[in-house]
Amino acid sequence: MADVTWSRCGEEDCLRVGGAAPDAEVRVRTGTAVAAGEFPPMAGRLVRDGDDACFVPRFAFVEGTTYTVLVEGAVAAVLVRPRPDREATTEVLDIRPTATDVPRNLLRFYVQFSARMSEGYAAGHVRLVDDAGNEMVGALLPTEHELWDADRHRLTVLLDPARIKRGLVAHRETGYSIRSGESFRLVIDEGFCDARSTPLRARAERRYAVRGDERHRVDPFLWRVTVPATTTVHPLDVMFDRPLDHGLLSRCLRVVGPDGRPVEGTAVVGPEEQSWRFTPRRAWAPGAHHLVVDPVLEDLAGNSVSRVFDRDLSRAEDAPAEPRPVTLTFTPERGGATR
Amino acid sequence: MSEYGLKVGTVTVGSAGPITFGPAGILFLADNAAAKVFAVDVADPGPQAGSEPFDVANIDARVASFLGCDSDDVVIRDMAVHPTSHNVYMSVQRGRGDAAQSVLVRIDGLDGSITDVPLVDVPVAEVAISDAPAADDERLDTTLPMGAEGELVTFGERTLRILRRPIRTSTITDMAYIDGALLVAGLSNEEFSSKLRRIPFPFRDEVTDNNLEIFHVSHGKWETAAPIRTFVPYEGGRSILASYTCTPVVHFPLADLTPGTKTVGRTVAELGAMNQPLDMVSFVQGGEEHLLVANSAHGLVKIACRDIDAQTPLTEPKEPVGVPRETEDLRGITRLANLNGSHVLALQADDDGRQHLRSLKTASL
Repeated sequence: MADVTWSRCGEEDCLRVGGAAPDAEVRVRTGTAVAAGEFPPMAGRLVRDGDDACFVPRFAFVEGTTYTVLVEGAVAAVLVRPRPDREATTEVLDIRPTATDVPRNLLRFYVQFSARMSEGYAAGHVRLVDDAGNEMVGALLPTEHELWDADRHRLTVLLDPARIKRGLVAHRETGYSIRSGESFRLVIDEGFCDARSTPLRARAERRYAVRGDERHRVDPFLWRVTVPATTTVHPLDVMFDRPLDHGLLSRCLRVVGPDGRPVEGTAVVGPEEQSWRFTPRRAWAPGAHHLVVDPVLEDLAGNSVSRVFDRDLSRAEDAPAEPRPVTLTFTPERGGATR
Repeated sequence: MSEYGLKVGTVTVGSAGPITFGPAGILFLADNAAAKVFAVDVADPGPQAGSEPFDVANIDARVASFLGCDSDDVVIRDMAVHPTSHNVYMSVQRGRGDAAQSVLVRIDGLDGSITDVPLVDVPVAEVAISDAPAADDERLDTTLPMGAEGELVTFGERTLRILRRPIRTSTITDMAYIDGALLVAGLSNEEFSSKLRRIPFPFRDEVTDNNLEIFHVSHGKWETAAPIRTFVPYEGGRSILASYTCTPVVHFPLADLTPGTKTVGRTVAELGAMNQPLDMVSFVQGGEEHLLVANSAHGLVKIACRDIDAQTPLTEPKEPVGVPRETEDLRGITRLANLNGSHVLALQADDDGRQHLRSLKTASL
């Protein structure tokens, strides 16, 4: 039997076959040869290196996978690509919303991880659980497309919108995923693997109490704005009339100065997504400033500034607004004021 | 390919997304990590094919074997059939996490052999989905990090560590090419909206796509918008049938889609509770156009286009299903494509989760 080892060939990983005849046919198959016989061999090329033949794969060997090496059609070796023993260090940093009470027509959660994650685990490792500890099957939207931010740190999880939207078959047949007056938990279990294919350090969960529905457009004119004083870098504080969507808050609010240019600064979403604090980089200038609200900003139930999530056509007050930014004007004054 | 603006370059796909063929055998390939679409000359080597069926058992295991991994490490994200050779193309994600690779494979329509399609030094053009955030957009995504990430910025007398990174993404769920434009449906990881983008092809340097928001009405009482999961052009591209994540199947004429105006589609059917649309295809049977809808809970749903035209919007809550339709006894189908005039190609999972390519004779559907 030939001597087959995991090795390197130049800059590339390979399977090194010692003692193979120069013109010997070398093939590599995943699994055991018996099971894989009818399927195509692994794509790759054979490189002679002295007396050895090196199989350099087109696609990298996968940790934990079994490979069978055949020389002239006979099994020369069966090897498992080693999987390094990695310590579980990744954890869930936050589950949003952080509000303890959520509307019955709650639409989405965000799960923030401490490291880059792998795709393909959300369906099996994120679930809603009722107070009795039972999984609420069918509550979350089953989607082939996991919704991640660009660097795979934040996962968006949707409740099944078909069960929230009034008039749809799913809503009439199965009703809301969560019920007013009851509690539930969103649970992320340890089996959710990070980008190194290592499980989480610990499971994470957040418990919510369910209140009534939220079915009105987001109205920035109902917000309470605490205006800072000029010549200070005191923050602009905005208190909302209801919790808003954390993800959208990060980009839907901006402050424009009297010169029409964005005011540089940093924004932080407050506890339970009920408020927003903007701290300018330089002292507030005198004159009219504008808090500009992008009309896509949504509350926890998916109602935005421009439309309600599902609109009852008989309610004129729920007619959609023009999808234009809404502007709240404030003027920093000596000593500050409340708008 | 220069007439389509393709230049030699490299296609780097972070997360394999939907694929569909455009003019002259150009394949559109979506990257759902970078919110981009590539137009690639796949240099299909096949001869003109006929109308024979094409079946390959255990296609997931075969592709995994070729790629040197277990079947569990292969996800077939989409499937498209070359318009003349009928070779089958699959957008595949191999492996997970940092080790994951996006691969485009070609299944030979004659012998079922598998090759990977070269994506280096090939004629290619690309377009970014326009409302994805720019990486340097300071207005976006500024957060206070938990650890040592980010940069130190001084605010007056205070210094804070802040982190700027793009957190908003668009995931492309389906694409189709019609008359010089690529239609793209997608899901946002933040706002919940129903946007269909129309991107002129050849791609242009300036941002030229327009976003079309299509509302739909349930039972004449509720108006709503939702992300489009899958859609199919029919009537020679004059109409679209779209299936939403909340499961209504909605019809709208393409001519009605004018940027900046509100479009309300006509709900013609619902797929029902605990169900998700997966893919759609149109085909001709007995001289009339029909549609097949693959979905997660039931067998294939078949809808005759003439019934859609005759269907008034769903208004009566007691009759939720809409147009007459047939649920074919074909379960586990996740992807559909026109193979040739005589067959529709289906990617079908069996009870054990193994996936097979199966030709469905259109005359018998």
